[in-house]
Amino acid sequence: MLLKPFILRFTYSFLMRWILRWIIGVKWEKASFLSDEKQFIIIANHNSHLDTITLLASIPARILPKVKPVAAADYFGDTPFKAKMSSYFINALLIPRSEGLTAIRQMKKALDEGYSLIIYPEGSRGNPEEEQALKPGIAFLLSLCPQVKYVPAHLTGMGKALPKGENLLLPYESSLIYGKPRLIESSNRDEILRQIEDDFKILKSAALQN
Amino acid sequence: MKSDFDWLFHAKILEEKEVMIIVFVIFGLLTLASVLFFIIGKIKPDANLNELKTRTKSWWIMALLFVVTTIFSTKISYVAIAFLSFLAFRELYSILGFRQSDRQAIFWALLSIPVQYLLAYAGWYGAFIIFIPVVTFLLLPLRLVLRGDTVGIVKSMATLQWILMLTVFGISHLAYLLSLPDIEGFKAGGRGLLLFVVFLTEINDVMQFTWGKLLGKHKIIPKISPNKTWEGFIGGIISTTIIGYFLAFLTPMNAPQVIIVSFLVANAGFIGDIVMSAIKRDIGVKDTGNSIPGHGGILDRIDSLAYTAPTFFHLIYYLCY
Repeated sequence: MLLKPFILRFTYSFLMRWILRWIIGVKWEKASFLSDEKQFIIIANHNSHLDTITLLASIPARILPKVKPVAAADYFGDTPFKAKMSSYFINALLIPRSEGLTAIRQMKKALDEGYSLIIYPEGSRGNPEEEQALKPGIAFLLSLCPQVKYVPAHLTGMGKALPKGENLLLPYESSLIYGKPRLIESSNRDEILRQIEDDFKILKSAALQN
Repeated sequence: MKSDFDWLFHAKILEEKEVMIIVFVIFGLLTLASVLFFIIGKIKPDANLNELKTRTKSWWIMALLFVVTTIFSTKISYVAIAFLSFLAFRELYSILGFRQSDRQAIFWALLSIPVQYLLAYAGWYGAFIIFIPVVTFLLLPLRLVLRGDTVGIVKSMATLQWILMLTVFGISHLAYLLSLPDIEGFKAGGRGLLLFVVFLTEINDVMQFTWGKLLGKHKIIPKISPNKTWEGFIGGIISTTIIGYFLAFLTPMNAPQVIIVSFLVANAGFIGDIVMSAIKRDIGVKDTGNSIPGHGGILDRIDSLAYTAPTFFHLIYYLCY
């Protein structure tokens, strides 16, 4: 258990930061503001496996072991070996995609234990540079834990560097920008979803201007 | 007693007086600029110097990088120039909107970068000069064809080869300067030539900018680059030619040769600059990226270099080697 934080910090805060910055060409703002938050849920768009790697690399090393990306158990945990690797190298929280309630309960439990989460509310990786509709699970989770702040994040270019269904990783200038940490403004799930969608739209237009 | 730093004091660059002089000139100019901006900032706190300040900062980084890589070993210079090619190439294909089915061909093109620079390092001129214009020119279309997506394939074939020529073939001439054979009585060697062409290109950019700001009235090509004026262009070329004449000690050329070469390099720099401006107009971005603060992307710095490097190389290769 002592080994895991070391592996995570070495992989993301050192190795991946270097590779992403100089080889792939990812630009990101410093996410040091995350150190000030006790707990948070990062909500990001999803086009590539690189999304998770970039988000983890951008998080301050000190709090990195306390952040769990939420991943599909049927993809990242279909064999015991893969599940072990996902746990060690991605620190993943594996959830069953088909059983919504179990998934929500697992995420809630992780939050109660003090972990922060990374969630892709689109559910799966979409086509490069295209957004998909948000799934309602995130609104459900946030309405159960209204005291936890969420941080919207927008990634561009990742789907070009490593698209779904391709094995070849191509360097490609891409970017990650964060919005401000926020609390939900309503307990109505539709309104929570709309609030997140609005945040995504603002971030997307900010990313286009950069 | 042998000191631990013996290798440093015996570094070749310190024996090359000519190179050292110009290195001191560059650092002198940078110090002058930094001090000047600092003083102006104190006297007139509301003067907007941010742009100029970040530009000077980037110059410091680039000059230090250049000196450090050349002091330690020329091998690092090859790697550093190759990396510059890679950054510029990546920047271009990222903004030019390639198809998903072009990815493998782009990857092949990336692999050609180490090959091209190894050929430069080995000094194998025949292979170096045909590798990209002939070998990748014939092979990259094959990779595109193998993937089998024919919609828009001509555009991909043409664009990929063109940006490879610009960012890898063109820039790699800088590296080959370091592999040129020694000439008797010419001490500055490849480092001198490299320093000469890089310094002259950047000074040319600065001069064209400065003259344009001071006197610029008559626009040359307002549709492409509204800031380019005849006054800036002519003033820049004359200044660059004069500066080139005084830097002749970095090259094995005689006075008339260095004047003609500096004049042609200045023109090449201008052409490279407006060609890149036209591309940026086409894809609708102002600066190509932000790898160097205040300088736009890497490309905005090396657009003229991609034209001046092969121009200078082939002129000097014809005249002196």
